[in-house]
Amino acid sequence: MSDTTSPSSGDASEAGGRTFGLRFATDRLAGRILLAVLLSMLSAAGLILLSGHNPFTAFAAMAAGAVGTPHQIGVALNRTTPYLLAGAGVAMCFRAGVINIGAEGQIAIGGIGAAAAALAWPGGMSPIAIVIVLIAAAAAGAGWAAIAAAIHLGRRVHEVLVTLLLNFVALILVQQLLAGSLGQKGAGFLQSPLMPREVWLPRFPGLDAHPGFIIAILAAVALSFVLWRTNFGFAVRVTGSSRPATAYAGFSLGRVTWGVMLLAGALAGLAGGIEVLGIHRRLIEGFSLGFGFKAVTVALLGALEPLAIIPAALFVGLLEAGSLSMQRQVGVPSALVAVIEGLTMLFVLAATVRRT
Amino acid sequence: MIDFLDAAIRIATPLLFAALGGILSERAGVFAVGLEGMMLAGAFAATVGAWASDSTAVGILLAAIGGGVIGVAVAVVTVRFRADNMVTGLAANILALGLTSYLVRILAGSGKLVSFHLTLLGPWPIPLLSDIPVVGPLLFDHPPLTYVAVLGCAAIAFFLGRTQAGLTLRATGENPEAVFASGANPFRVRMLAVIACGAIAGLGGAVLTLQQVGTFTDGMTGGRGYLALASLIVARWSPWGAVAACLLFGAAEAFELRLQSFGVPVSSYIIHMVPYLIALAVLAGIGRSSKMPAAIGRPLQQ
Amino acid sequence: MTALLEMRGIVKCFGTLRANDGIDLDVQAGQILGLLGENGSGKSTLMKILFGMQRPDAGTIAFKGRELSDHSPRAAMAAGITMIHQHFMLIEAMTVVENVMLGWPEAGDILQTATMETRIREASQRFGLDLDPRARIASLPLGRRQRVEILKAILRETELLILDEPTSNLAPTEVADLLSILRRLKEEGKGIVFITHKLPEVLEVCDEVVVLRDGRVTGRAPVADVTRGQLAEMMVGRTISTTRAHQAPELGPVRLAARDLVSPGLEPLSFEIRGGEILGIAGVDGNGQIELVETLAGLRRMHGGSIHLDGQDITGASVARRVRAGMAYMPADRAATGLVRSMTVAENLMLRDSRKPPYSAHGVLQPGAGVAKAESLIASYDIRASGPSAIVSRLSGGNQQKIVVARELDRGPAVLIAHQAAWGLDPGATRFVLDRVIALRDAGAAVLYVSSELEEVMTISDRIAVMAGGGFAGVVPHDEADMRQIGLWMSGRAA
Repeated sequence: MSDTTSPSSGDASEAGGRTFGLRFATDRLAGRILLAVLLSMLSAAGLILLSGHNPFTAFAAMAAGAVGTPHQIGVALNRTTPYLLAGAGVAMCFRAGVINIGAEGQIAIGGIGAAAAALAWPGGMSPIAIVIVLIAAAAAGAGWAAIAAAIHLGRRVHEVLVTLLLNFVALILVQQLLAGSLGQKGAGFLQSPLMPREVWLPRFPGLDAHPGFIIAILAAVALSFVLWRTNFGFAVRVTGSSRPATAYAGFSLGRVTWGVMLLAGALAGLAGGIEVLGIHRRLIEGFSLGFGFKAVTVALLGALEPLAIIPAALFVGLLEAGSLSMQRQVGVPSALVAVIEGLTMLFVLAATVRRT
Repeated sequence: MIDFLDAAIRIATPLLFAALGGILSERAGVFAVGLEGMMLAGAFAATVGAWASDSTAVGILLAAIGGGVIGVAVAVVTVRFRADNMVTGLAANILALGLTSYLVRILAGSGKLVSFHLTLLGPWPIPLLSDIPVVGPLLFDHPPLTYVAVLGCAAIAFFLGRTQAGLTLRATGENPEAVFASGANPFRVRMLAVIACGAIAGLGGAVLTLQQVGTFTDGMTGGRGYLALASLIVARWSPWGAVAACLLFGAAEAFELRLQSFGVPVSSYIIHMVPYLIALAVLAGIGRSSKMPAAIGRPLQQ
Repeated sequence: MTALLEMRGIVKCFGTLRANDGIDLDVQAGQILGLLGENGSGKSTLMKILFGMQRPDAGTIAFKGRELSDHSPRAAMAAGITMIHQHFMLIEAMTVVENVMLGWPEAGDILQTATMETRIREASQRFGLDLDPRARIASLPLGRRQRVEILKAILRETELLILDEPTSNLAPTEVADLLSILRRLKEEGKGIVFITHKLPEVLEVCDEVVVLRDGRVTGRAPVADVTRGQLAEMMVGRTISTTRAHQAPELGPVRLAARDLVSPGLEPLSFEIRGGEILGIAGVDGNGQIELVETLAGLRRMHGGSIHLDGQDITGASVARRVRAGMAYMPADRAATGLVRSMTVAENLMLRDSRKPPYSAHGVLQPGAGVAKAESLIASYDIRASGPSAIVSRLSGGNQQKIVVARELDRGPAVLIAHQAAWGLDPGATRFVLDRVIALRDAGAAVLYVSSELEEVMTISDRIAVMAGGGFAGVVPHDEADMRQIGLWMSGRAA
């Protein structure tokens, strides 16, 4: 027994030189993540002290700014929506071991899809119009993800590089279209004309929130079902855990990769569409800036668990909504939020990677 | 034409620093997705250092330290905690973006931006050589950090190819078990390589602030770190190849500037895409390179 | 004259297993010692102890008259001992000279590449290594790569060279070259330990041979005094139980038929297995076993030939289709292929059947039915786990393998391919696995049972084939099997 080399040390377990670092520790996971959040909040408190302010005052102002009034709650929920939608899609990809960093571009292209469909809409039929425009957004996002999937699978270029570079292309594509066919002439900014009223997402009276948040929660619930209760979800989980076992189980790495990329692209595209219809009511330059990375943040913070991403996205959404009042009232720069996000990601990564 | 090439060299310089740092990191076996954040931290630290001390040298030193700090964060999380390289790099980029934006605002104590006005490093014409027609102004009339980039490239090429330490670093990216068997410590090698990567990429940030722009603005690296990452892959992880790849991206951007100044009726936005499209096309064209360090991204055992 | 190496009374236990049970071993300078033994006989453990990779429970080691104890591999290397593993510690992307210089102080902090190249050429000439210092390792055949390892040892002035199964991956001509290199090293006064299964090589190159079995020395003789047959007997022993507990049922029709299978690492190979029959495949690891089973299971692309299961052509079929056609497969690599260890027992029990009832309906998993099914399998296959939702990595090796057995056998397969199915299991779990496989055979299935444990193959098989060099060295019905013949087949192709 001790005399033979383990048969498990053969080439099969090597998985072609690829590693999947995004497998989470299985024990005390929630505790580890809370610890990571706590550590990053402590670091943030240190930075607030550095700026000469009282961390408690600053955090109190942040909390009040996030949930102080119904209006502020609505703003926070609206902020949360794209992070939740795109983050849940990113989590599906990460679950399959596909590191899709392309949510940002997929959101941007989703916005283009929504704008193009809305501006082409002949008018009338409000609820159907909204549905059709949002479907166009999702399809556009999925299409953008499909380009990444095709280059990644077809040419074996690492998906991180492909999706990252396509993000830049997508952002510039938005600018180009706004300077050209989708743009509003003489606006002075890169933006499209205002969309027809019938495609605007309604707002809940007194709350200022649009129904996007509900759509996002439904999507997270649906993804949780897909991940845990369907054959596809099972294939995704097996693929992310062990590539040799994927082939042994009779699943196709290519098909799973296509599946999660299209799904994530559609959700990110939908997020872009909702952002356009619900917040700006027109396509504007750079509306998706930073969203892709936030999607990754919330996916990790939610331990790649669709339902847990709901509180994770809310945390980030509330943080951002509150940070503006913190800046206004206490004078602590709202850029602190990005520090908290970056630190949280690093701490979550360090605290939760499974030691093998 | 000389203007065009000059612009290409100017644009390529910060990329080259980052790509050289990235080569150290990746050849030791850690993906260098954090280059963007390292550059940004370097750009910030250089600005603050030069502004506070009124000395460009201090700025340059601080740039290396600033980039190195991000390098330490990436090294600890990826090497010590064995986390996914790619996602860690992204997290470091977000951290660097947030941290620099935050710190630049609290410097003034009011939540407002400090406005830095730095004296740019001017060209240092090399005596005699810069008088050669055509070649002289093109190659021997640059600001100092551009020369440093080329010298750094030569130094790194020498280090990797001709020293025991460089050999050990390359071996760590290929087969850490063999390095361990040879008596070296692959953990230490990777930690040091990633930290050095941060310091060198930080100098790339210093090029932007001290030599080209003269001030610091939020997220001013604008994706240069990712382009540097693409160029080191296109360069097949070779320092001199990185010079060529960075010049290619520099030329693409310089070309775009030229077209604009000539008023060619091509939309400027489409042209902005060119560097990224070139990167994608080249990466897709070469496919998965056989030159890629065999153990890149693979956490160390034990 | 004192020996270069003296190992006395080495004992090493793993739990109840005495891997080394009081072994003495001497190596003289200028001597090639053959260390023979089957897998599990204790050779590797002994060498790991010598090289400082494991601590002995008892016994002493003296090298050049100085005692070695509690030493690290680095200390062993510094003392002048080099071990060349089966898996070379080389960097494929680099050149020969770079591999030689790595970690070698004499190469200098600033690498003296040109000087080193000259020294490599000299050494290469002197020992007949025929190595170009500028060649990339990746471009060299395995035999040359091995010589790079030998070259490293020579240049570092090693005095004792341990070669672990040095010929297992070599072509016959490469083997001949290696043996002549070893002879030259011997002439230079180096001591060499040659660990192998292969008798012809031992007879050809060694001065003395030591045979290990079950952690003890069962034979020790100058090579001139022994015959090949005697060595085979010492190695395989007479203690092997070759009787089967179960009598084979009537043979049914052919259920698995392979014709001229060709894939990298596999010679054209044809065989048939009938219902109610176990074809056991014995042989040293690395002789094409993994290639054969993965080709049959659909995990490896084949270059030629055909596979039929119950008359149905499954040559190009996907893994899923093979499973549907009735093929069960227990891979040797349980850790990453046969099981997803981060998942639960229930999920692993449905790993290959998740798209079928009771596990799912219309693409939707049925956790209730899955758990019920898992509970019944846990009971009937005696899987010791806290329940269906236990994480597999927390289970013992035996219980992990029972999950694979339960999943693959419960389907009622027509054909079972089992590779190292009892590897690393305690005797009880081994018995359990073998009994289940025999029960499947008795129910009329065809079984291909691949193992490097000869005893296991002898116990279970109705017919025995021995694999060597990617093909069958011989096939024989169980009742006509002659242990000496099998030992000879295992030890080299020319039987």
